[in-house]
Amino acid sequence: MSTNLTESATQPLGAGRGRWLLLAAGLVLVGCFILPWLSFVITADQRVALSLTGLQAATIGLVETTDGGLLYRSSFWLFLAPLAGVVGLALGALNLFPGRSAPWQGLLALFISVASAVAVWGAFAASQEVAQKEKVAVEAQWGLSVAFIALLLLLVGALILLREASSQKPAFRAALDALNFMTPGTVLVIVFFFLPAIILFILSLTDLSSANFSEPWTYVGFDNYKRMFSDRFFPKILRNTFQYVALTLLFFNVGLALLLALLTAHVSRRVGFLFRLLWLLPRITPSVVYIVMWQRIAQQPPYGILNQFLGWLGVENQPYWIPEAPWVFVVLVNGFVGASFGMIIFTSAIEAIPADLIIAAKVDGAGDLALIRDITLPLLRWPLLFVVTYQTLSLLVSFEYILLLTNGGPGLFTTEVWALTAYKRALQTYFGSNQWAYGAAWGFVLVLIGAILSVIYLRVFRFNDLVQEPKIDVL
Amino acid sequence: MRVELNELTKRWGNVTGADNITLDIRSGEFVAFLGPSGCGKTTTLLMVAGIYKPTAGEIRFDDRVVNQVAPKDRNIGMVFQSYALYPHMSVRQNIGYPLKLKKSPASEMEQRVQRVADMMGIGHLLDRRPAQLSGGQQQRVALGRALVKEPSLLLFDEPLSNLDARLRLTMRSEIKRLQLDLGITSIYVTHDQVEAMTMADRIAVMQEGKLQAYAPPNELYERPRTIFIAGFVGNPPMNLFDVQVLREGERLLARRQNLEIELPPERGGRAAGKEEIIAGVRPEDISLIPGAAGSSEGAQGEVFVVEPLGRDNLVDVRIDDLHLFVLADPRQPLKIGDPVRLHFDGDKVQLFDPETELSLLWT
Repeated sequence: MSTNLTESATQPLGAGRGRWLLLAAGLVLVGCFILPWLSFVITADQRVALSLTGLQAATIGLVETTDGGLLYRSSFWLFLAPLAGVVGLALGALNLFPGRSAPWQGLLALFISVASAVAVWGAFAASQEVAQKEKVAVEAQWGLSVAFIALLLLLVGALILLREASSQKPAFRAALDALNFMTPGTVLVIVFFFLPAIILFILSLTDLSSANFSEPWTYVGFDNYKRMFSDRFFPKILRNTFQYVALTLLFFNVGLALLLALLTAHVSRRVGFLFRLLWLLPRITPSVVYIVMWQRIAQQPPYGILNQFLGWLGVENQPYWIPEAPWVFVVLVNGFVGASFGMIIFTSAIEAIPADLIIAAKVDGAGDLALIRDITLPLLRWPLLFVVTYQTLSLLVSFEYILLLTNGGPGLFTTEVWALTAYKRALQTYFGSNQWAYGAAWGFVLVLIGAILSVIYLRVFRFNDLVQEPKIDVL
Repeated sequence: MRVELNELTKRWGNVTGADNITLDIRSGEFVAFLGPSGCGKTTTLLMVAGIYKPTAGEIRFDDRVVNQVAPKDRNIGMVFQSYALYPHMSVRQNIGYPLKLKKSPASEMEQRVQRVADMMGIGHLLDRRPAQLSGGQQQRVALGRALVKEPSLLLFDEPLSNLDARLRLTMRSEIKRLQLDLGITSIYVTHDQVEAMTMADRIAVMQEGKLQAYAPPNELYERPRTIFIAGFVGNPPMNLFDVQVLREGERLLARRQNLEIELPPERGGRAAGKEEIIAGVRPEDISLIPGAAGSSEGAQGEVFVVEPLGRDNLVDVRIDDLHLFVLADPRQPLKIGDPVRLHFDGDKVQLFDPETELSLLWT
């Protein structure tokens, strides 16, 4: 312990080249981004901006309009970028003083790098526009190269810091290794989830629609969200979504799936396999064909299969069933597709239960029901968590079968769910007036709901408990 | 409880797991099923447990035929090589599970679980999960779970195979002692002949689904009925080699190249005059004399390998193309290549017919 302390005191992290590089890069950043930005905000005078470099102008979002005036383009993320730079720099500066622990130094250095990268990215995107205006073109290019040099310095500094940190702390090195192993997954999640979600959010703060897409976007704040929440059908859509997800999940995607898995696992392997194969048919049937089949089932006599059966039973004058009981069909149609996913997951989980456990339970006195209740189901906790979580999320965002089956009807919003609304607002309105930004607001809230639900599920299922604790080898 | 297997057979298609097994187990007896992997011992055990349905034959508990009785109604306890503890239950719930299924009252259950756990020396671990226990502790829990409902038959399926060598010794004697104290009829499946020899009252040796012998350990050791038993039972294993048995005047000799063993007449009588006989001699029944002494009896060879076992040295002696294992006094200084003379104890030599693989002494 004491040796550790002396070591860190005599050889503070970042004492070498890394610290000075970070400091230099930070100063360049402050010069290029922060000061002009502050001055602009403080004076609130657009003319001040004229004296700034192109890069600075880009950073604060100034674009010269055709009539010679300046348009204040509040692309908010361009504000965020220098702000992140300031925060990163402040945090980093704190840790340029000796005595902080190595991991923090390294991580903060990384944070600064990332923040600067965001800043440069923002500046670059904006300066592309600025550069098209003659006046500031040259200067913008110049400012950009300065920013790139600063970024390069930061990255090198961060790398040196990280290397120093990892050589000092084996634990930190191990943590870095762990992060390295996660890189492929992390990159995928960032590229295909976080970035789209951020873009969606940005889009939702504008007024972009098919009516004005040829003009520059206007930042409208949370107007789209206000409009969404004050929609008189909002409560109805919310209720529909809950009903749709809860019923389909409970009775089919988990309930029926579990039942099918248990049944097919207790018959001979071949029969079980065939049975499961049959249940996969709805999933591999093209959506439109699948819905047409259901419509045929529900048709009025003499076409509808269901009504033919009813006719044989002596029930006359049967209606077209889908508008009669739209919710029954919405749940059935989705559930027949959804059940196969859980069925496959549960089946493989059941078959993975060691045979000895089953034998032990039988010998201990368990009948079939006790065996399922006490052994099989508890051991299916992880697949259950997975299927419930995964299927909740996929049901939340699914709408194509409802779109094809009822299109949210019959009547107004009878079976309209959230994802369908988002789709209709953004991409399918009459007269081609697609409200992309408004639809994005619906979509983004759905993303938030999904994220929150996932966290809740992980808590409820006590995910951490599923990780085995280390063995205590004493006897 | 008495257990009786009558021509018990299990087949899957044309694969035979157990073939015509007939044996009886006395009440309170400890019987081992011994044999190499795939010999049908576990198949037979699982039929006794009621997990497999016999293809033919019958299983009797006392005088009741139980072929159609479900495992849960057979009142048996079972211990597995994998322990087979329920990973999602605590030790307390694991041990109490058979009682819970019997719908015992909570207070009685608590008491009996505690008593069994104390007996197994795991009373302080009741709130742990199986994953938090060592292998030995898990096996004690498994044993406790098998014992808690006071079964009339205990089944062990290689319960010690996953434990380290030292722990295996301890558990071996503990299980043996426990079985004696409780007097529960037990079947113990193992491929480890030492386990079978040390623990069982009688051993059923099985090979390829067939029952080869069913006898007390020392009888199996002293009077192996087949070549398979002779080679399988005993550690280090018996030396088996081809000989000719000849009569020379009054003497009866087993001979092979430069090797010669004098047989007592009552032992070698049936083998006399046969061209091909398989002789078996245990390593402890051969004495080893260093040097190249002149006597013509026995055999002259050279040391091929010396394996010190501590109490003895296991010496691999090469006689022409034949390798024999001999237990020798470790104080004898032996080097590889040393000439040695071997003397065989004629009273301990086993003789087998290579055609039938049966003993010429005990069948």
